[in-house]
Amino acid sequence: MFLDFFYKLKDAGIPVSPTAFLTLQKAMGKGLVLSLEDFYTVSRAVLVKSERHFDLYDQIFVHCFEGADLPDIEGVELDGIARALLDEWLKNPKEIADALGLDPEKMKKMSPDELLEYFKERLKDQTERHDGGNKWIGTGGTSPVGHSGHHPEGLRVGGSSMNKSAVKIANERRYKDYSRSGPLTQALMGEALKQLRNMVPSGPKDQVNVDATIYQTMKNAGEIEIVFDRGIRDRLKVILAIDNGGWSMDPHVPIVQTLFDYARSQFKDVKTYFFHNTIYDTVWEDPSRYRKPKRLEEFAGKDPDTRLILVGDASMAPYELLARDGSIYAHERSGLASIERLQFLADLFPHHVWLNPLPERMWPYTRSIITISRIFPMFELSIDGLEQAVTQLMAA
Amino acid sequence: MSKQNQDHSEFKGAHKYILDEELAKIVNITMALEMPLLLKGEPGTGKTMLAHAIAESLRMPLIVLNVKSSMKLIEALYQYDTLTRLNDSRFGDSKRDVSNIENYIKMGKIGQAFTADRRTVLLIDEIDKADTDFQDDMLDVLDQMEFDIIEIDKTVKAVHRPVIIITSNAKKDLSDPFLGRCNFHHIAFPDPKMMRNIIQVHFPNLSADLMEHAIAAFYRMREIDMVEKKPATRELINWIRALETDPDFKAKQLAKGEVPFLGILFKKSQDYAAASNIASRRKLF
Repeated sequence: MFLDFFYKLKDAGIPVSPTAFLTLQKAMGKGLVLSLEDFYTVSRAVLVKSERHFDLYDQIFVHCFEGADLPDIEGVELDGIARALLDEWLKNPKEIADALGLDPEKMKKMSPDELLEYFKERLKDQTERHDGGNKWIGTGGTSPVGHSGHHPEGLRVGGSSMNKSAVKIANERRYKDYSRSGPLTQALMGEALKQLRNMVPSGPKDQVNVDATIYQTMKNAGEIEIVFDRGIRDRLKVILAIDNGGWSMDPHVPIVQTLFDYARSQFKDVKTYFFHNTIYDTVWEDPSRYRKPKRLEEFAGKDPDTRLILVGDASMAPYELLARDGSIYAHERSGLASIERLQFLADLFPHHVWLNPLPERMWPYTRSIITISRIFPMFELSIDGLEQAVTQLMAA
Repeated sequence: MSKQNQDHSEFKGAHKYILDEELAKIVNITMALEMPLLLKGEPGTGKTMLAHAIAESLRMPLIVLNVKSSMKLIEALYQYDTLTRLNDSRFGDSKRDVSNIENYIKMGKIGQAFTADRRTVLLIDEIDKADTDFQDDMLDVLDQMEFDIIEIDKTVKAVHRPVIIITSNAKKDLSDPFLGRCNFHHIAFPDPKMMRNIIQVHFPNLSADLMEHAIAAFYRMREIDMVEKKPATRELINWIRALETDPDFKAKQLAKGEVPFLGILFKKSQDYAAASNIASRRKLF
């Protein structure tokens, strides 16, 4: 039974390890687990190592020990829709009474729990009668009851929950919030980009170099001479090139803005440039891409150790990338295809990445993304993607 | 099992620390399994306080290792004070025996916890500040409960396995080998009922009126969407302390929607601006 539980966790995508499972057995062998509640708490502490998986754990726990339906992972969206719908209904008790075919007077006498239970039953009934309603109910069926904080009378969510059964606690799904990957705030970006640094000695000489001190002291025949070195500081150079043109980037402006802000405050030496869709002969220092052009050739004089980060959705018509006069602006006809210019930049700065705000699963559908990702290693503009990008940038 | 019995009774919370039962269970099982406990949660929800509370209630000494970003593992274990030795050998005016290197080895925080003559609580605070190598190496040491002092070729073994509490503020996960070796708990933000208990412990003489209004106002302020760093328990406690010391303040003001001392709750300038904006708007309507 526990083995089954273990593998269910694993199948659901929680990274559980056999060692942890053995630890759990050890805990049980010691007689430390006396009830199902104990088991719920202990096995979560031992097996699940991230609050992002707590919600999933709760669902599986309920499934294994209470036989609740496992939610359709694909149906997460529908789950939300079902709950929103229920919310909406509960704002207007009369409407829900009509919808459930109940007498409003009779409904008033029902406790919120009963009401939700009744609602659930009705939903199930409906599934059987309607075609195509299957998924909608399958996911909606368990969760509105577990998540019962929306009744006008004010049902409680969370709270002092230890008097209830573990199954009920698990069914509350208190950790749902943590399972969603939140917005990419500056703090989160900071964590992802923290590894991105290039430590070189600089600043005042204030650190004792023990080896040199001993050597000098010996040279002086025992007369102590303390040798100081400069401290190690971060001197990383970064070029950030952002696609800020066109409607296709519009939905991604807030997240790119955050990255931009962070880069400005974090890196000592960061140059930001702008382009539209892809790069031809010039990039611009001003966001309007009009006043301060900078020719690509000028980059040749820069430190090749500079990290080049391009941000853009890389989505455009193929000719913009491949044709010699592909630019959508008439004054940008240079005779070189954009793809060659990108290659030029990539050769100039061996440490380069392309961050794409589009979700990775969408990439294969756009040809220009595939083409560009052959030149620049492409990563999603998300926490995980940023981390991978940083690894790529710091690789020698 | 026997070890657990002779060492102490169970951990049941402490003076000034309100513990939920779930966490108490996890702490006890972690001590029994002799594994480190990794705590995550919003800043200001009492991760560090837990270690203090454990030390207090089990009457064990607390050793705190504050992790810094530039920290090397060896600093946490021991330090070989070469300069003092060099100095001593040059001037020869100290009572230490220069030829014995051991006299110049100073134990770091982990070393102190290992060599202490009784079981200690070792708090490793904000592990996420250090790089992953540090984390993995440290876990090895904590796993084996021993480390080598290279200079004198000696192995330091833990006399008593310390109770190890590790805290992390990071939203991202720590490395897999690290997670594999510890138990995990995420301290959720307390709900109003729990919060009332916490405030009660910290301010036993607080009037019920002020407490109700302060907590209500506090949760209202937490609901503001645009805020990046939401105020947590720590901010609330400081805020109530400020309200108490202000002679002109009356609990009724809170009910009217006034929120004095916003700067205690919101510490980022744009958060402060957003919050004061909303607070003043509430006052008008």
